[in-house]
Amino acid sequence: MEKLEKLLSNHFEEHEIYEEENEYKSIAFESNKLKEISIKQSKGFAVRAIKESGLTFSSSSNYDLEKFGSNFIQLSEYPTKTSIKFPKDLQNKNKAKIYSEEEFLIDNNFFIDKLNKNIKKILDKFPDALCDAEFDLGKGKSFLKNSNGLSLESKESGISFFISAQIINGNDMLNIYNYTSSVKNIEDIEIDNLTNKLIENLSVAQNIKQTPQKGCPVIFTPHGLYQTILAPLLVSFNGTNLSKNLSKLSNRENEEIFDKKITIIDNPLIDFSTSSRNYDGEGISSKLNELIKNGKFISGIFDLKTASEYNCKSTGSASRSVHSNTFPGISNLIMSTGETKINKMIQQIDEGILVDHLLGAGQGNELSGDFSANISLGYKIEKGKIVGRVKNTMISGNSFDALRNVDSISKENEIVYGSLELPYLQTSNVEISS
Amino acid sequence: MQKNYKNIMQESLDFKNAEYKEIRIEETVSTRINYNGKSRENVSINSHFGGSARSMSKGGWGFTSFNEIDLAPSKMKESIELANFSQNSAFEIHKNHPQKVALPAEVKKDPRKISLSEKINLLEHYKELILNDKRIQGCEIIYGDTERKVVFADSDGNEIEQNFIHVILRVAANSSDGNEMLQSGFSIGSLGDFSIVENLDNKVLECAEKSIGLIKAPKITGQETTVILDQILAGVFVHEAFGHLSEADNVYENKRLQEILKLGEKFGNSDLNITDGAKIPNLRGSYEYDDEGTPSTKTPLIREGILVGRLHSKETASKLGEKPTGNARSISYAYPPIVRMTNTIIENSNNTKEDIIKDTKDGLYVKNWYGGMTEHEMFTFSSAETYKIENGEIKETLRPVKLSGNLFTTLKNIDGIADDLEINQGGGCGKGGQSPLPVSNGSPHIRINNCLVSSG
Repeated sequence: MEKLEKLLSNHFEEHEIYEEENEYKSIAFESNKLKEISIKQSKGFAVRAIKESGLTFSSSSNYDLEKFGSNFIQLSEYPTKTSIKFPKDLQNKNKAKIYSEEEFLIDNNFFIDKLNKNIKKILDKFPDALCDAEFDLGKGKSFLKNSNGLSLESKESGISFFISAQIINGNDMLNIYNYTSSVKNIEDIEIDNLTNKLIENLSVAQNIKQTPQKGCPVIFTPHGLYQTILAPLLVSFNGTNLSKNLSKLSNRENEEIFDKKITIIDNPLIDFSTSSRNYDGEGISSKLNELIKNGKFISGIFDLKTASEYNCKSTGSASRSVHSNTFPGISNLIMSTGETKINKMIQQIDEGILVDHLLGAGQGNELSGDFSANISLGYKIEKGKIVGRVKNTMISGNSFDALRNVDSISKENEIVYGSLELPYLQTSNVEISS
Repeated sequence: MQKNYKNIMQESLDFKNAEYKEIRIEETVSTRINYNGKSRENVSINSHFGGSARSMSKGGWGFTSFNEIDLAPSKMKESIELANFSQNSAFEIHKNHPQKVALPAEVKKDPRKISLSEKINLLEHYKELILNDKRIQGCEIIYGDTERKVVFADSDGNEIEQNFIHVILRVAANSSDGNEMLQSGFSIGSLGDFSIVENLDNKVLECAEKSIGLIKAPKITGQETTVILDQILAGVFVHEAFGHLSEADNVYENKRLQEILKLGEKFGNSDLNITDGAKIPNLRGSYEYDDEGTPSTKTPLIREGILVGRLHSKETASKLGEKPTGNARSISYAYPPIVRMTNTIIENSNNTKEDIIKDTKDGLYVKNWYGGMTEHEMFTFSSAETYKIENGEIKETLRPVKLSGNLFTTLKNIDGIADDLEINQGGGCGKGGQSPLPVSNGSPHIRINNCLVSSG
């Protein structure tokens, strides 16, 4: 690497080298049986260099550095315009815990037994079910070094547990899954809870019920809330779209755009949460960012490039993998809870839907906040109780409209997708069709 | 096979304690050029080099991947140790007739011979064409070409080297109605032919015009209606609605699903014929050997409405007692091969597009695509263009729609298939975390009754 650094110093005003070494292990069951154990090791590096306000980027897992260097110099004839400068030092020395090695020391049989035990629990109740289940473990090291003196090394780790069950009845295929992840080993009680919940959901979902009429009340589970409403909404918070004036939120900071009940933050500094980071992909200290406060749009998320284009400061949100240039990405998203217990919210509904999983979300005009998808798992609420599942039903609407008038937000929250802490939410501004 | 790989690969295959072993070494170099809005956002060259070892013992699999090729033998040993954790019963895996071949890439106009500046100039030109129209808010252009060399060897004696060159381009124009951003775009691709991204001025201008056309277009409300799909969207439909369930890894361990998807069952009307095959030449899903070294085929899946075949890896074919079809594919050395589609098509029937439209009293003409997804028997896919059909005529432009259906009813609801098959190569497929895999889809215009449609 020293030779490469020298070459870069000779040709460019500033440069940055990012290097990553990762190891992933996966223990996967398919159709109730152990299917495959895999161990993937990967290593690679990426270089960014700046000359005369032009940035060049290239990455490789091929350590033929001489060839890489000469190709890089050629590539630098076609830079992209930039006004960024690489940071000199970390502003804050954050100390969120993002690494633990213990799970990699555990014997494979330990995980195999755990997966077997949880699948058996489902099969005891539903002998015809076919279960897939998986433990995924990952650990990695990253190095970030730039010509302005920054030199950082970080270790990260993660473990996740996934379990799903499929039950076929006539031509109806019911498939439900649950998932959790952490930086360190997942407690047995958490895994038990996930499997128990899966069994509970399978029992209710056996009954297929008629989809309620258009205009019925709709509650989103934390998972459904992210998939349906928040994922398309976050596209508008992304610095890339804000800086290009493609976002509906561009230059509307401090405007009250959402219901007063909505407050959302992005907090990368939570101990042992899978999306935590102490500094971002270009060496900017991570910090808590308020996105929406009591309905007011506060800030988007930015890396150095998008911040310079939007005339603001980086929010320390640069995500990167070794083979991509940086881009703004969220970490641990947290939506504030409300006043009503979820049981109470359900009890108050005469006829409605609880939306949990969607199929085909995120494949439309996301910049507008529009969403439209098939409800792959949605529960029917009748007279204040969950009585079964709806099928062949679509949901559509617009995230901005859905969060402009929110009926209620639950007191409870759940962690979904490993690092998003979200409540249940009821809104009427969505359309159901079947 | 390259000499320097040969010894190390052979050494890796010498280990005992596994019924089947395979090793892959792969090298790729990709060029990417992106525009977003007025500016060029990225010009990059990324290269990958790595390998993987996979083995099977007692019906269980072990897989390892690595970047340091010298480690291959020890990584094979590790994969065998992982496979031996299996508590399953052994099965006889299908053996290919061993092949020793080295195949060059199919090339028409080689993107590697086009300089970076020529590529950039061409894309700059398309960008200017779009942004010249002051009603346009922005544009998005993504160009990519990838050179991929894969060397494969297995314990059955196969030694296969294959080379591929892929070219892709997506062009999209954004407009705004003052409140919402609207986008119209197109995606194209080819196996080894740069000329498909040349001479696209008319198509690019049309894309800008369509984006502006969306400004005044109304949204529809959710409804069940008759839809006529153009060739591109019908291609996405066949991929999502039927293709994924024809992948035998859904079925091979699932007795109930085997009963439902029994060969000989009727799934569509008598003019419905569906085929998948990497053997169909010169498409993005074309190859001679899959990533398990099985020769590619052309597999009839539906003949005259009857299910007649499915797509296999070595394992699924062995376990179901059917012939392998050469559909085991992996997106790179870092992943094990799984059952995937290649080039999937609905074949021509004898109606004309004009007759099908004329025969439709009330419905939607849906064209082009944003995306699609499948979960078991349910699927959704989305159009990029939508028009109202009234009394047999195409009328006003509407906002794009999402279509949703169920395998068991929707295929039977196809009641018109035209004679104008076209193949789209602009898409990629995702499954099991491996995305985007190069595939192509094709179809003539088709009409589907009672399709659930909503705006978005």
